Amino acid sequence: MESLVSFALALLLAPLFPGVINKTKAFIAGKKGPPLLMKYYTLAKLFRKGSVYSTSSSYVFKMGPTVSFAAALMTLLFIPLAGAGPVFAFHGDVIVLFYIMGIGRFFTIAAALDTASPFEGMGAAREAFFATLAEATIFTVLILFFRMNGSLSFADYFHGDNPISLLGPAGSLLLLVIVAMFMVLLTENSRVPVDDPQTHLELTMIHEVMILDHSGPDLALIELGAFYKLFFYSAFLTHLIQPFMFSGALVNGLVFYGALTGIYVFVGITESVMARFKMNLVPKYILTSFTLVFFAAILTMGFVK
Amino acid sequence: MDTLFYALAVILAGGVAPLLLYRQFELMKAVAVIAIAIGCLLGLAALVPVLQDTGPPPMISWSWQHALTLSYRIDSLSVFFLVPIFLICPLAALYGYHYLDKSEEAGRVGINYFFYTLLIISMVLVVCADSLLTLALAWEVMSLTSYFLVIYEFQKKETRSAGYLYFVFAQAGAMCIFAAFGLIYSYTGSFSFEAIDQLPAQAKLVVFVLSLIGFGSKAGIFPLHIWLPHAHPAAPSHISAVMSGVMIKMGIYGILRMYVLLADTSLLFGQTVLVVGMVSGVLGVVYALGKHDIKRLLAYHSVENIGIILIGAGLGMIGVASGSPVMAAFGFVGSLLHVLNHSIFKSLLFMGAGAVLQKTRTRHVDELGGLGKRMPITGKTFLIGSVSISGLPPFNGFISEFLIYFAAFQGLLLTGSSFLFASLAIISLAVIGGLAAACFTKVVGIVFLGEPRSSAAARASEAKLSMTGPMVFLAVLCLLIGIWPEPFVQLAFFGLRDIAAIVPIDPKIAANLVGNLAFAARLFLAILVVVTLLRKVLYARKEVTSGPTWGCGFTQPTVRMQYTGTSYAMSMVEFYQPFVKVRTAYSGIRRIFPGLTTYETRVDDIAEIGMHQFFVHPLMRVFDRLRWIQHGHIQLYIGYIVLTIVVLLLVF
Repeated sequence: MESLVSFALALLLAPLFPGVINKTKAFIAGKKGPPLLMKYYTLAKLFRKGSVYSTSSSYVFKMGPTVSFAAALMTLLFIPLAGAGPVFAFHGDVIVLFYIMGIGRFFTIAAALDTASPFEGMGAAREAFFATLAEATIFTVLILFFRMNGSLSFADYFHGDNPISLLGPAGSLLLLVIVAMFMVLLTENSRVPVDDPQTHLELTMIHEVMILDHSGPDLALIELGAFYKLFFYSAFLTHLIQPFMFSGALVNGLVFYGALTGIYVFVGITESVMARFKMNLVPKYILTSFTLVFFAAILTMGFVK
Repeated sequence: MDTLFYALAVILAGGVAPLLLYRQFELMKAVAVIAIAIGCLLGLAALVPVLQDTGPPPMISWSWQHALTLSYRIDSLSVFFLVPIFLICPLAALYGYHYLDKSEEAGRVGINYFFYTLLIISMVLVVCADSLLTLALAWEVMSLTSYFLVIYEFQKKETRSAGYLYFVFAQAGAMCIFAAFGLIYSYTGSFSFEAIDQLPAQAKLVVFVLSLIGFGSKAGIFPLHIWLPHAHPAAPSHISAVMSGVMIKMGIYGILRMYVLLADTSLLFGQTVLVVGMVSGVLGVVYALGKHDIKRLLAYHSVENIGIILIGAGLGMIGVASGSPVMAAFGFVGSLLHVLNHSIFKSLLFMGAGAVLQKTRTRHVDELGGLGKRMPITGKTFLIGSVSISGLPPFNGFISEFLIYFAAFQGLLLTGSSFLFASLAIISLAVIGGLAAACFTKVVGIVFLGEPRSSAAARASEAKLSMTGPMVFLAVLCLLIGIWPEPFVQLAFFGLRDIAAIVPIDPKIAANLVGNLAFAARLFLAILVVVTLLRKVLYARKEVTSGPTWGCGFTQPTVRMQYTGTSYAMSMVEFYQPFVKVRTAYSGIRRIFPGLTTYETRVDDIAEIGMHQFFVHPLMRVFDRLRWIQHGHIQLYIGYIVLTIVVLLLVF
């Protein structure tokens, strides 16, 4: 029950946090910025509208939003949120979930190529390329976690009897993981310095350009799916930086959302102080994250016997 | 066992009949397809008693020419490999009914069916062989018949040279296998499988390496895969489907069989197989990205999938060597299940590619496009095949990849070098998965989506029923295994039953795990259905219009402006230099009003370049020196023979 409530809460709150990023960026730039609930207004507006479809596109174009949304939704069912356990959990669910995200990406890319637009093809190629590199980092993190915790499920990582924590025996290695996963978060969710979500036209290089032709409820599903994906990665990081659990459910919930907000603020700060990389530097950036966690995984050979 | 041979007889009849009936084109094809289908169904039926029986595996043997004993036996591993043979071959034969549609080539089509049935029979005999000699005989028949199938369009020079390349690789591989068998014979003094595990450790290693090279060149391990990307585009598509889906798996069978027979539990075997698997897997998919001939690209994906299968097998061997039964069982089960899965989705993809080729007469992806609208069934089934081969849930490829992942994670509990190997296996599987998805979004996106890039693609129409039928069946099978994997995983576990080295694990572990996988796949499908319905509701009574694609302000788009497969893949391929050689020729822009500019880029296989530079050329130089031996005087040739016999008699 507790899990279902926190899952529903996450679904409702996920569009709030990108507003936090925008507020942070506006604050640093000395501007007032859009209201915190801006994303809700946008979603409501999009859901009310109809759509224009390209004459080039086919059923695959319409499957892009539904599959990517379904994939994002599914990930939130398996990660512990706000001190409660996940709705579903089993040994091995982490592998399944990262592959579920893979199928979401597959259809987003296919939908982009379905429009016959060169811009969208370009974005699709980059999305596919960077994802292959980020996947190596993610699976190395799973290797490391298996060494630390012996499990393959989010529930056991963060909510079991022997959770992965900064205060644990190999907690210092988590520092490397936190940095690397933050880099992956920025990559996978198309944030600066990999991509720039701010510009909404051809200047945007990856995610936004892939969804140029989507409109109305389709676009709303994509946006909402993207919020859920960002929420998933942020929740992942939140669990890593939160050293221990408190006793009360309410306290846990508050601490979780507090830390989560902190991560979004940090994303906002990163976006304010950095420019987007040139495209040829992005692979090096992602490989840096891979190197960090691979190093950590090698270190476990000595730490954890 | 008898039923199996009756089945083979029916199949053979289906091959001989076309030779007599070739004047009635349609009748000939119908007779052949029906006989092959009945034979294969009979063959599948013959497996049922073996599946239920728990006693010793049925065997049969008779002496041939008084000197040689041919013996056959069906153990659980054979049963598992017989399933894809009997499943895929009739479907490919049915597909061939409309694919081979030129009645003026009736004679050739008849011969094609004849060799096709011989190929099926020889593959069955390979997996049932119970002695070195029987195996070698069936293996040779398999190599030769598939050679004749490859050179179906022998008028084309390209086809002939591809066939020659295949022939050379098949025979060189067979040489290595025979050398291994000869070595075994020199120790045991018999052709039987019995005493092979008594070999000294050193001999075992040599035998294993030789058979890895021999069987591996058939399977298409890197760098012995060179024939695949040439032979598959040259062969008719249903032949490519069978060769890639089923025949190259005989190489995997050979490697596994030799491993079982040698019964050696040193870590080195597993590590070698694992490394070969990782290299084949990653480089196979990278080259697939770089290739734009759709059938060549699929051929490189076979290299990749053979890599995945060997990663599983390697992990299993490491599990056996280091006494981790769970790792061993899941490694081998994942590997076997991937054999079955790959045979399903790869033949589906080759059939789809064949339909595209038949309707557009081009294999180059950058000349295609928008075929999803013109060939809806081919498009949809190809999409399903693509998602499956990328290893994404809820389709079958994911199930086997997951089992291999699971074995690799079990390997992380080991210490020392095994930990490193297991980690590398996980990382390579992740990279392979990502790159395969990238490559198949390319194929689907460029070939089936968007706008047609040539008039041939614009005029394409849907393939005939006998071609779309098998594709739909295979696509349904992909989804079925994905959401209902339990019986198929059990079948793979059954495949391991007769392998002594594998300690049976608690069936609950596997049942639990697979049940959860099935749950996750079904959950995802359920969510997807709900979201699709939600989308329907959201669009109820909404204004939906259509217009041209938004060109960011550019108002005169042409189909030539679409992103091409070449540009889609280039940044990824370049990233993997120097393991891939990218050659670009660009004339450049020199004047203010530039003239005609050309740009050409090609991705070359380093294995091919290396083989040419370091093996073929030096060899040719040596042979050039020896040309004087070949002078054309028959009496001297007879002299050579006499001399050889005399020397042999004197020495031995």
